[in-house]
Amino acid sequence: MFKKENNLAGYIFISPWLIGFLLLTLWPITQSLYLSFTNYSMLDVGAPTWLGTDNYVKILTDDSTFTKSLTVTFLFVLVSVPLKLFFSLMVAMALVKSLRGMNVYRTAIYFPSLIGGSIAVAALWRNMFGADGYINHVLSWIGIEGTAWISNPDTALGTLILLNTWQFGSTMVIFLAGLKQIPGELYESASVDGAGRIRKFFSITLPMLSPVMFFNLVLGIIGSFQMFTAAFIITNGGPVNSTYMYALFLYEKAFKHYQMGYASALAWILLVIVALLTLINFVASRYWVFYESDGGKTK
Amino acid sequence: MKTFRSKVLPHILLIAFSLLMIYPVIWWVGASLKPAAELSLPTIWPSDPMWENYSNGWNYSNQHSFGRFFANTLLMELGNVVGGVITAALVAYGFGRLNFKLRGMWFAILLLTMMLPTQVTIVPQYILFNNFGFTDSYVPLVLPHFFGGGAFFIFLLVQFIRGLPRDLDEAAKIDGASVYGIFFRIILPLIKPALVTVGIFTFIWSWDDFFGQLLYLSSVSKFTVGLGLRMFIDQFDVQWGQLLAMSLLSVMPSALIFMFAQKYFVEGIATTGLKG
Amino acid sequence: MKKRYAKSWSLLTLALLLLLTACSGGNNNPPNNGGSTTPSTPNDNGGTSGGATELGIMWWGTDARHEATNNALNIYTSQNPNVTFKTEAMSWDAYWQKLPTLAASRTIPDVLQMDAAYLQEYVTRGQLADLTDIDLSGIVDDTVIENLKIDGKLYVIPLSQNAQGMAFNKEELEANGIPLPQPGWTYEEYFQWARDAKAKLPDGKYPIGDSGAWADYNNYQVGMGGEPIMADNGRTFNLDKDMFIEFYSTYAEFREQGIVPPADRSAAFQENDPQADPMASGVVMTRGATTGSVSALEQLMPGKIGVTTLPTGPAGGGWAQSTIFLAVNAATPNMDEAKTFVKWFITDKEAGKALGLTRGIPISAENYAELEPTLEAKDIIGKELYDLALEKAMPFFPVAAGYSEWADNYVKEMEAVSFGQQTIEQAYEKLNKAGMEIASRAG
Repeated sequence: MFKKENNLAGYIFISPWLIGFLLLTLWPITQSLYLSFTNYSMLDVGAPTWLGTDNYVKILTDDSTFTKSLTVTFLFVLVSVPLKLFFSLMVAMALVKSLRGMNVYRTAIYFPSLIGGSIAVAALWRNMFGADGYINHVLSWIGIEGTAWISNPDTALGTLILLNTWQFGSTMVIFLAGLKQIPGELYESASVDGAGRIRKFFSITLPMLSPVMFFNLVLGIIGSFQMFTAAFIITNGGPVNSTYMYALFLYEKAFKHYQMGYASALAWILLVIVALLTLINFVASRYWVFYESDGGKTK
Repeated sequence: MKTFRSKVLPHILLIAFSLLMIYPVIWWVGASLKPAAELSLPTIWPSDPMWENYSNGWNYSNQHSFGRFFANTLLMELGNVVGGVITAALVAYGFGRLNFKLRGMWFAILLLTMMLPTQVTIVPQYILFNNFGFTDSYVPLVLPHFFGGGAFFIFLLVQFIRGLPRDLDEAAKIDGASVYGIFFRIILPLIKPALVTVGIFTFIWSWDDFFGQLLYLSSVSKFTVGLGLRMFIDQFDVQWGQLLAMSLLSVMPSALIFMFAQKYFVEGIATTGLKG
Repeated sequence: MKKRYAKSWSLLTLALLLLLTACSGGNNNPPNNGGSTTPSTPNDNGGTSGGATELGIMWWGTDARHEATNNALNIYTSQNPNVTFKTEAMSWDAYWQKLPTLAASRTIPDVLQMDAAYLQEYVTRGQLADLTDIDLSGIVDDTVIENLKIDGKLYVIPLSQNAQGMAFNKEELEANGIPLPQPGWTYEEYFQWARDAKAKLPDGKYPIGDSGAWADYNNYQVGMGGEPIMADNGRTFNLDKDMFIEFYSTYAEFREQGIVPPADRSAAFQENDPQADPMASGVVMTRGATTGSVSALEQLMPGKIGVTTLPTGPAGGGWAQSTIFLAVNAATPNMDEAKTFVKWFITDKEAGKALGLTRGIPISAENYAELEPTLEAKDIIGKELYDLALEKAMPFFPVAAGYSEWADNYVKEMEAVSFGQQTIEQAYEKLNKAGMEIASRAG
């Protein structure tokens, strides 16, 4: 329909974002790019000193903390994104049905996601996963002696991944909205054709849900690469840097060790990494994401 | 047997799962009623519940009670949600349905803005708002929501809009509707569940945005709940019972909103119909 | 239909655009985020107009401190009607998160509370005003002032007395028939006490905690007669290899024998968190404490704790001095008013009464004498710790400018040692190399 260009209308509709971008976002972004080539502490009274690419070179060739935190972050993304996607899709499928009291169940299940970065979460997680915590109590019933999960370098990242998965509510809600958008007639006619539940899931639910799935995947990756709060308030990156997430590393460089120039370079390196991954995702999406508005081509 | 499987079993499973998910919250309720000296004990419930953690916590600051902080936050949230939902829908329609020059480039930029960690843009942004004279006000916290509500929501709505069949637009176009008409009469009603989602998330996430609130609000009279909660914590001294009590209260608005709004976001196409 | 929509939209957008260009027009030259070479003065501080001054002031603390400070400020305004205050009070964490941003945007308030741990970073970078010309004789001890000077200049006004010592679980030690630690104990006595106490303690309880912070080791190195790790404002760096290895070998041995908790327990400790504090959780019998922090511990374990000094060497142990200060923004347009005010803040009798003990034991002996009869249990224990520490106290050694990351890494390297991921020698080599590099850059 609007295949031909409609510049005026297009720009009118995106103008709120465009204006905001030009007014509030563009300058801070260019500023951080500029600072990434300088030696600049936030406390400096004088001008930042121009370093050229020194920060980048140092990060990429001579910073073991960079390598460590990037590895930790990749590991986190690699495990937690698929886990959360799978889990939230399953729960969304269970919660999409109409059942008396469903709104209460949904709220209860969403609740962990509400408490987000609240200070209480740290206390709570320690209570669950500490050496004398609830998990170890339960394990002791079946004769297993647990460790101090949060403060053991082998298990700390795992507990953060678990926490992240426990807070799957937002992803689930998006799936829920997506599931509800699938026209019921599709299922009805499939039933007429004699399709079973499994086949309906693969031939209707998954393709119809693919735009939302794609969204959750892309945003899950972007978000997980910037995972900060839990590492900040619960483990503070430790023990022995085992949960030193990239965003925490960057934050400490900027706000705690007063190396904003270096931190900016770190941020731009992360941007490049995440942008590349997103690009790959977009290219790959042509093969599996199905847009109703494109007339149903998946290629 | 059949009625058991279809009527009772789902409830049993759901209750069990809900309890598992919400166990830590039960711990939280118990902990919020404990005196500090009892917090290290593994018991869930205190020997003598200190309900005054709630009343003392509510009136902790002698300048303003938490009532003020809740009111402030809700007012700010009103702006955020209204601004976010309206402008995100507009922008998403532009990106998702209209064809214009440089659309691809702008969309790529939109996504890129999400990938740069905010830690490095927050200071220049502060300087910007400071130059505009907007510090110690809600403007820096609310205004961005009026500019599309954030890339996350725009992208989310784009995905939903792209999931809608184009035949609907075609039909409306034959009836003489313009691009604007189609937006208001076809697209908006159909993405209502997604819009409610945007509203809820905006609400919950801006409630949580502690760092922004810390930077931009300095008068106690303008404090949000998040800032109010920090008053219980100092370098060494933490009023644990009151902190836990008030932070439990602080998630209640989000929980209530979620509970009541969800009937809208789960009311999908099946019930709104394809009338257009 | 179509036209009407289009028209109204275009008009709306046009109006918006106009509004925004108007807005941004006035701000075409946003300061270069530190790009300007002249320190621009804060533009929202009121300035001096017609003799009336509004001083911006910012501090961290508890609500009790906020209230007391506001009362004191009101007293100042009633004594000096031309000076009013714009206050900003927050918690410790929030304060140090926000202050760098204010520094970067040149909007630090005229007067600000400072902590010894951060002082050097702010002074070295020129954020704080030189206060050497404020006459504090008769109010603050001359040696205290000399100790606080950085390269011969005074940048802060000390507010209270603080000292470092140790707290111990009196109740439980007595119950297990363990002799209580004696003030002034040496490192040797300390380690021996730990060995003996372990034998009498039930499983899962430990006499002393592990050691991982640089300041802990610095206390040892200096106490045993060595040089401080960072000296001369960070220009010299000295990490004594033999002492380092001896000190941490003792802890490695203790870890093996269960005299200090295993590494994963130690890593979980969070001081002053009722569940995770090494002492409040009942796991460890002793831990380091200061006059300022011991009252928080006393509230978690009411009536159960006693205090003593840190272990000492021939040269002493621990420190006793002020760690909370008031400082003045170097770029304030209200320099004179700010200086007058900060001096008043620690001198004035009425202010002293209003402020009470909300920042610890007041630096002015006269003001403290007034308050002494009103001390509560939690204050008394802090004062007790201070009095004990005085005799053997050494100077306070702050993290020198540029070393904050090194200090954080120190903890991590020692953690890696305690988890068996590297040897003590390897940790030494890394820390020594990094420290030397910083020192050579600072020189």
